[in-house]
Amino acid sequence: MSSAAVRRGTLALTVAMMLAPAMAAAATKTDAEAAIAAARKAEAAAGVLQNQWLPTEAALKMAAKALAAGKYDAAVATAKRAHALAELSIQQAREQDKLWHNEVVR
Amino acid sequence: MFHSRLRAAALLAGMLGAMVLAQAPARAAPAPNPEADRLAFQAYFRKNYPAVKNSDWGNGPYALNAGMRKQWEAIMQFPPYEFALAAGEKEFNRKFANGRSYADCFPNKGIGIRQNYPYFDTKTGEVVTLGIAINRCRVANGEKPLGYKKGLLAAIETYMAHTSRGKPFDIKVPNDPRALAAYEAGKKFFYSRRGQLNFSCASCHVQKAGHRLRGDILAPALGIMAAFPIYRSKWGEMGTIQWRFVGCNKQVRSVPFKPQSKIYRDLEYFLSYMSNGVPITGPGARP
Repeated sequence: MSSAAVRRGTLALTVAMMLAPAMAAAATKTDAEAAIAAARKAEAAAGVLQNQWLPTEAALKMAAKALAAGKYDAAVATAKRAHALAELSIQQAREQDKLWHNEVVR
Repeated sequence: MFHSRLRAAALLAGMLGAMVLAQAPARAAPAPNPEADRLAFQAYFRKNYPAVKNSDWGNGPYALNAGMRKQWEAIMQFPPYEFALAAGEKEFNRKFANGRSYADCFPNKGIGIRQNYPYFDTKTGEVVTLGIAINRCRVANGEKPLGYKKGLLAAIETYMAHTSRGKPFDIKVPNDPRALAAYEAGKKFFYSRRGQLNFSCASCHVQKAGHRLRGDILAPALGIMAAFPIYRSKWGEMGTIQWRFVGCNKQVRSVPFKPQSKIYRDLEYFLSYMSNGVPITGPGARP
């Protein structure tokens, strides 16, 4: 392979690497709204179990702020984080519903 | 920056998930027996801290750490709660517009009764804390209710606690399914891990009582209610136990409940019952 071909290949790869994240993260407003709605639903379920977490609330606020600012990629990513945290708080509440007995002083 | 935070959050979330899943299998739930619980609870603390006298459990971390106790004794030369005590006494003795006063709302005219709160009201089927009773008294006499965390309500509690110093906690859990349910709800809350940090109240105040958490010494759960309300240096003013519950929940990254919400009243009921026999030391002072 010639050095010119290597240079051309390297340039193409570099450009592709630069563009790839932007192309992959091109979320729309609808995507962001859907992600936030899903996260809010999970957080509401955690509320029913009386076990919401502060970082979930903070992430939801950040996601809504990003949505309002038109930063849809950030809104989706933050909403997904909020959703994951809400699911963990639900898991914690369900497990502690049984496991708390293990901590009782006897 | 954002993505590194996201990765850190995902890692933490994953670790927590593994931690939650890795816990031991659950024990079967025994039938409610508050007195057996109290005896076991107190025996745990007395066994682990045999040098602490019964009268000292209400002094919290100062009962367990000599260095902190010296600092506290120096602070108590000029107790930081004295302004609140004076304000609380003045308010307690003020006549309402209808000519009545707080004294008309409480047994023994409100003097020396703090050790009996919270109690379970069999008429309404709910736990009544001292804060709730004070506000009910106000509303019944045409006054506006007060906020439950600090300010005038904390000052009134300061005065009422001061008149009760030395009187041992004497909380009753009547043989009523609703009272037992409230007690059990408070107990469950106390022992349940919550928040992103996956801590229960017991994680700090039973399992790690007397240990350091950064610059602080963790107070033992036994007697923890006896000093309230407290002047907390961090707050720079008097505050109620309900305010402290809010703060504790926030510290483990859990969304707190409203002061005097049912769950916090049940928690106060359980914790106070666990301290039956421990004398009131409030108003207190804490870092």
